[in-house]
Amino acid sequence: MANLAVTLCGVTLKNPVIAASGTFGFGREFHELYDIGQLGGVSTKGLTLEPRLGNPVPRIAESRGVILNAVGLQNPGVEHFIEHDLDWLKSTGTTVIANVAGKTLEDYERICARLDGLVDMIELNISCPNVKSGGMAFGIQPKMVEEVTRYATKRLKTTPLIVKLSPNVESISLNAKAAENGGANAVSLINTLTGMAIDIERRRPIIANNTGGVSGAGVKPVAVRMTYEAAQAVQIPVIGMGGITCAEDAIEFLMAGATAVQVGTANFTDPYAMPKIIQGLNDWCDRHKIENVSELTGTLQLNGK
Amino acid sequence: MKDYVATIVKNEKIAENIYAVTFALDEDCQVRCGQFGNISVGGTHLLRRPIAICKAAGREVTFCYQIKGEGTQKLKTMGAGTRLHVLMPLGNGFFVEANERKIALVGGGVGVFPLISVLREYGEEKEISAYIGYRNKGAVCGVEEFEKATKFVGVTDDGSYGERMNAVQAFAADLEKGNRPDVVLACGPTPMLRALKALVEQEGIPCYVSLEERMGCGIGACLVCVCDLTNGKKARVCKDGPVFRVTEVNL
Repeated sequence: MANLAVTLCGVTLKNPVIAASGTFGFGREFHELYDIGQLGGVSTKGLTLEPRLGNPVPRIAESRGVILNAVGLQNPGVEHFIEHDLDWLKSTGTTVIANVAGKTLEDYERICARLDGLVDMIELNISCPNVKSGGMAFGIQPKMVEEVTRYATKRLKTTPLIVKLSPNVESISLNAKAAENGGANAVSLINTLTGMAIDIERRRPIIANNTGGVSGAGVKPVAVRMTYEAAQAVQIPVIGMGGITCAEDAIEFLMAGATAVQVGTANFTDPYAMPKIIQGLNDWCDRHKIENVSELTGTLQLNGK
Repeated sequence: MKDYVATIVKNEKIAENIYAVTFALDEDCQVRCGQFGNISVGGTHLLRRPIAICKAAGREVTFCYQIKGEGTQKLKTMGAGTRLHVLMPLGNGFFVEANERKIALVGGGVGVFPLISVLREYGEEKEISAYIGYRNKGAVCGVEEFEKATKFVGVTDDGSYGERMNAVQAFAADLEKGNRPDVVLACGPTPMLRALKALVEQEGIPCYVSLEERMGCGIGACLVCVCDLTNGKKARVCKDGPVFRVTEVNL
């Protein structure tokens, strides 16, 4: 049995496998299938100060090897989450990461202050590609990434802050660095890549929102490359995600420099994907005589070096 | 709800563009009429296909599906012995109150299959009239099941089978003759459900509709397959539905 525990900005996770925001709700539904307490963490559905109804349907489409979604941050609001879901989610024993979004810099400051001390970590969504007011405006330019991070950390006293980065940018390295400069305790990446899928019979995009965020197995090489670049650019921990389907995929991200990983789309393909990845990590470490999974982080050696 | 390992026993065409696949499961599965399964076709298809359960008995379950895209194209080519994962049973299903003796089934297109499951669950104890609309004669299917109902009226858009009308018109015609049900259960294209909603609300007949929407997880976590409720909120078709009281949803 390998030691799968990892420490992320002072918080120890049972293992490096975290449910990605938006694919897992607040965990209740998947808990009907397996004990979600075994997961390294759960990043909640994106929360906003006020409840949101999200985008019109259809909100999802498939393309070979990937999916596109544009849910549009539908959520019951942060107060509803605190009142109805937070205690339950904590009671499962998993690490609770509140994913948050806002329209204005002040929204980010307020929602982070509200959740300070209540959750294990906060993940700042500044990269939702599907909502004009989902923070995308803050996720593109390094200057804005730094500024929104500063606002988010203004009144944060105890809870570590993860900034979730968009891949739809000029330089992932500069944006990762900007989050670090703004006071982030970690960065997570990648959020979805903006895409479009067309119903050729109707000559219209399948998704009502026209464009959607692309995720799933097909985006993995892009995500691994960006995880590597971000990890090279910053001193703070990196959480890698994008197309992770099995333990071997997760190991690629760890080697590229991630301390932990998130799994999203794979939960739709196989609802037991995460427990299988955790088991697979253990088996791989055992086979390779690795005692601590954390030893894998950043062990990639580039060719020609 | 469980992710069953399901082995295809039979997978055959039953009407134009419509196939029926029967699986043998690795364990027993208790299914309520109107529930569905989320079928993994594997390969580059990362989303499962949510398909209504047509028949279920012990370890055998039958789904009927329309060929719509690459996923169902792939499913259609799979022969006996192929093993797939099927997450089921999902959704709430149809529920009929004890005092609701007379049931009207109103269905069209692929919406007829969840109604067959109602007939199989309530056929013995209830008086069931089925009003089923098909596009044309080639699309007609499930007749041997619907003929087990107390009354079956099959109609087509072009009159090539039964009368030339839609399922709601067939139901309305019978209603006019005084054949009034205690409850209406329906599934079919949205325009059909919309016409039915107008009719039953005017007549004051309780009615439940099963909705269809593109889904992600199929279990209520991802908020992809929502519908609009009349109270201004959203509901998840996969988890809160797919069956809704018609007065509660905006169609």
